Amino acid sequence: MTEYEAIIGLETHIQLNTTTKIFCSCKADSWNDPPNTNICPVCCGLPGVLPVLNKTVVEKAVLLAAAMNTEIQPISYFDRKNYFYPDLPKGYQISQYDRPLARGGYLELPMPEGYIRRINIHKLHIEEDAGKTKNDYGRRLIDFNRCGVPLVEMVTGPDLRSADEAAQYLIRLRQLLRWLGISEADMEKAHLRCDANVSIRPKGADYLNPKTEIKNVNSITAVRDAIQTEIERQIHEVEAGNGILAWTLEWDEDSGILRKMRSKETEADYRYFREPDLLPIRLEQAWLEEILSSLPELPLARRQRFIHQYNLPEYDADILTGERSLSDYFENAVITYGSDPKRVSNWLMNDILRMVNERGIPAGELKLTANYLADIIKLVDSNVINTSTGKSLLEKVEQSGKSPQQIVEEEGLAKVNDQDAIRMVCTEVLAEAPDQVKSYKSGKAGLMGWFVGQVMKKMRGKADPQLAKAILEELLAK
Amino acid sequence: MELYEFPAYHLVEMIKRREVSATEVLESTLNRIAKVDGIPGKIEQEEGTDQQPDRIHAFITLTADRARQQAQAIDHAVVSGEEVGPLAGVPFTVKDIFCVTGTPSTAASRILANFTAPYSATPAERLEAAGGVLLGKVNLDEFTYGSSNESSAFKPFPRNPWNTARVTGGSSGGSAAAVAAGEGALSLGTDTAGSIRQPAAFCGVVGMKPTYGRVSRYGLIAFGSSLDCPGPLARNVTDAALMLQVIAGADRHDATAANLPVENYVAMLEDNIRGLRVGISPDYFRITYPDPETGELHQESLSPEIETAALRAAGRLAEMGADIVDDIPMPHTRYGIPAYFVISRVEAASNLHRFDGVKYGYRTPDAVEDLNEMYRKTRGQAFGVQPKLRILMGMYVSAAQYSEQYYNRALRVRTLIRKDFDDIFDPNGKYRLDALLAPTTPTTAFPIGDVYGDSVLMQYADQLTVPANHAGLPAISLPCGYDKEGLPIGFQLIGPDFCEATLLRLGRAYELATENDAWREIKPAI
Repeated sequence: MTEYEAIIGLETHIQLNTTTKIFCSCKADSWNDPPNTNICPVCCGLPGVLPVLNKTVVEKAVLLAAAMNTEIQPISYFDRKNYFYPDLPKGYQISQYDRPLARGGYLELPMPEGYIRRINIHKLHIEEDAGKTKNDYGRRLIDFNRCGVPLVEMVTGPDLRSADEAAQYLIRLRQLLRWLGISEADMEKAHLRCDANVSIRPKGADYLNPKTEIKNVNSITAVRDAIQTEIERQIHEVEAGNGILAWTLEWDEDSGILRKMRSKETEADYRYFREPDLLPIRLEQAWLEEILSSLPELPLARRQRFIHQYNLPEYDADILTGERSLSDYFENAVITYGSDPKRVSNWLMNDILRMVNERGIPAGELKLTANYLADIIKLVDSNVINTSTGKSLLEKVEQSGKSPQQIVEEEGLAKVNDQDAIRMVCTEVLAEAPDQVKSYKSGKAGLMGWFVGQVMKKMRGKADPQLAKAILEELLAK
Repeated sequence: MELYEFPAYHLVEMIKRREVSATEVLESTLNRIAKVDGIPGKIEQEEGTDQQPDRIHAFITLTADRARQQAQAIDHAVVSGEEVGPLAGVPFTVKDIFCVTGTPSTAASRILANFTAPYSATPAERLEAAGGVLLGKVNLDEFTYGSSNESSAFKPFPRNPWNTARVTGGSSGGSAAAVAAGEGALSLGTDTAGSIRQPAAFCGVVGMKPTYGRVSRYGLIAFGSSLDCPGPLARNVTDAALMLQVIAGADRHDATAANLPVENYVAMLEDNIRGLRVGISPDYFRITYPDPETGELHQESLSPEIETAALRAAGRLAEMGADIVDDIPMPHTRYGIPAYFVISRVEAASNLHRFDGVKYGYRTPDAVEDLNEMYRKTRGQAFGVQPKLRILMGMYVSAAQYSEQYYNRALRVRTLIRKDFDDIFDPNGKYRLDALLAPTTPTTAFPIGDVYGDSVLMQYADQLTVPANHAGLPAISLPCGYDKEGLPIGFQLIGPDFCEATLLRLGRAYELATENDAWREIKPAI
């Protein structure tokens, strides 16, 4: 039986998180806003209006272009893509065609199975979004809010070999976009959109078969499921001796089936030509350097560094570079703490991550700063407080915003190291429990833990348990 | 002399000195309009032979109430000793291709007949902010697509004040006719291939196409976006300078509007022109056009009267101290119209996409099966023949399989035309010109109905003006006499980028040289 491999390419549209739209000063993000409330003559294509480029769009796109290892072009142009649709108010979309912002580039995917897949992209370009059309019982309702929202389009080569790889690409891309702070990258909110081109061929073949295009997939899980379904359908068709036709398919998430939208017989002619209303984008060296100066270390590079520099297990490194704020938090805490990154990692992965998730805020916005966390671990290390006090301090600091030291002092949380004080309590505990003392002395050494516990209880947890144990042993030996 | 006849710069002075009120100026002008303009253009009306053939019909929309309010505000400001703008109380018109808040902004097309603009074009806004008093919106060829105004969907279309059986030229025909007939001292026009200069020449007024990007295009309903230039039409050079001063300059709404500072055109007007080098090219004294049957290129000389008038103008400039340089080669002039035919149509077809019946303007009242039928009927019913021709042509030459041999080739021709000018204006080159002098038009105003219908021939009316649009250069057309039928003749001066001041200076020098000429005394018969 023939073994098949899938050939998958993804076309992604990324909504940049600029404050205003790409060619006018309307608010860009209209999530939850009523239809047609963030619009103006420019984005509605009134007669006579002209676009004026929002520079931040270029800056954010350049960050992505750099992170995708592309060749950023010193000069690029806008073009008109002409077609009629009611939600395209000018009758053309301002896009970039033959001279895009960036060419080439790739993203390397470390797959959970251990191999790395390099995904190439041909080009990266900037364009404006169109509006939304809704069919309403025979009427079409149009919302222009989304017109002029800035997008970056990136198309991968046919480099992905499975539905899992496609999903992994989107996971890594989403991580990168959020890491760079250029997009919310929320697929459900269409900040990150993806169409998938899928074909199959016998494993090892070097030719490409006709492909189908899957549209309207709005979650990473849906992309994976839709592609997997399509791969299976194509294998089934080919095995049955049928050909694959270049269809455009639509994923119905609820029923988990692909529906044929249309056959693709001819390519549309968009009659592209240079947009005469906009000047070319000239990325002069000074501007480019200024933009790139804010390019952070990228997640995959940082992941490798954490593994090597801090000796973190891959698992820890993965989680601690999943999101930039947490990652920066970790590294700041390690620097303040000064040693044993794994110890910091343990605190982070157990406690900080939980706090971040519970509160739904990035680690960087916790009142419990990385420095405070390092302080708390140090307090534990130096025996000023015990571990459980340390853990409860996390919440106290987060709630009050006070420094750990201040809370320890105010609440008298420091461990009692006063030999005499502990000795007094130990004597008390033994005097109050003659039966247990008898049992201990007759060989039940396990009772030592109970004695220590009683001492801790009386001293409200502040006693140094090691010291208490030593004193108890001494007293019981008498 | 009636108030409506006064130059704008003179009116401003009189109003500021309280010798006359803006309201008096306005009323004089409104009276003039009532007397000479006749019924305004309307879409329901068809051109009738008996319909006021002796009137101008410059207007589509008269904004008398708005004008009265503006004039009263100026008068109030003057009386209260407040600072008023450089155009305080000057009545002006706007070609109806510009959006002006609260006015029907029709582009002389059925498809926008019901469209009222919710915002103002930058140059129109600047004119009002400078104290100008908006009389209304004047007629044009539909979407500016023409050189005679006969293609306007708003009938009757304007008639030439010098002879109402003649066309005004176009597409800023309403503007030129209004200014010539005393219906406002100034008019805001647009020039894509000669649409300011050609009607200015036909109607005996001054018209200036500034450098591309000198005046913002924001609010100008686009034709050929890489060619369109808003500019002034006026009865004299000083008024044109005054108006350009107000409308020129950077605009945050137009990325292609230049950030260069605007020179003080008015202050530099009377400067000496001694030593300025003005070139004359044989390539601008003939017309080359393809045979409609064979496509072979024919060459024809201009009307001798026009040739003589232009050369005589050069002579007058020489008397004022300019150096006239003959035999300037402009070899690519002949390709201006074919290249323009392609480039402007591609841009026009795309610019017309937005008129789809969805958002504003005309939508077919017919029942439709689907969206495509709505598009087809709407556009089929509401676009006139010129937009349709230009859409067809533009779609054709920008189609993937043809764009290399037409559109991209035309762009290369455009570069060559620009290079002709770069060579003659190069300060270190062989010719080192400050301006090129040429006739504005191959003929004077032709009779109504003579050329209309022949789109190709009509287009050749722009052969001498279109090169400046291709090259993005400033050019001014000035009246320089009359032909034997009493129709105005114009000549133009084309200059290097952003040298409007030099052109205006030359124009003013020419005015001074000819101010006592007998032909200066002639007024339109209307």
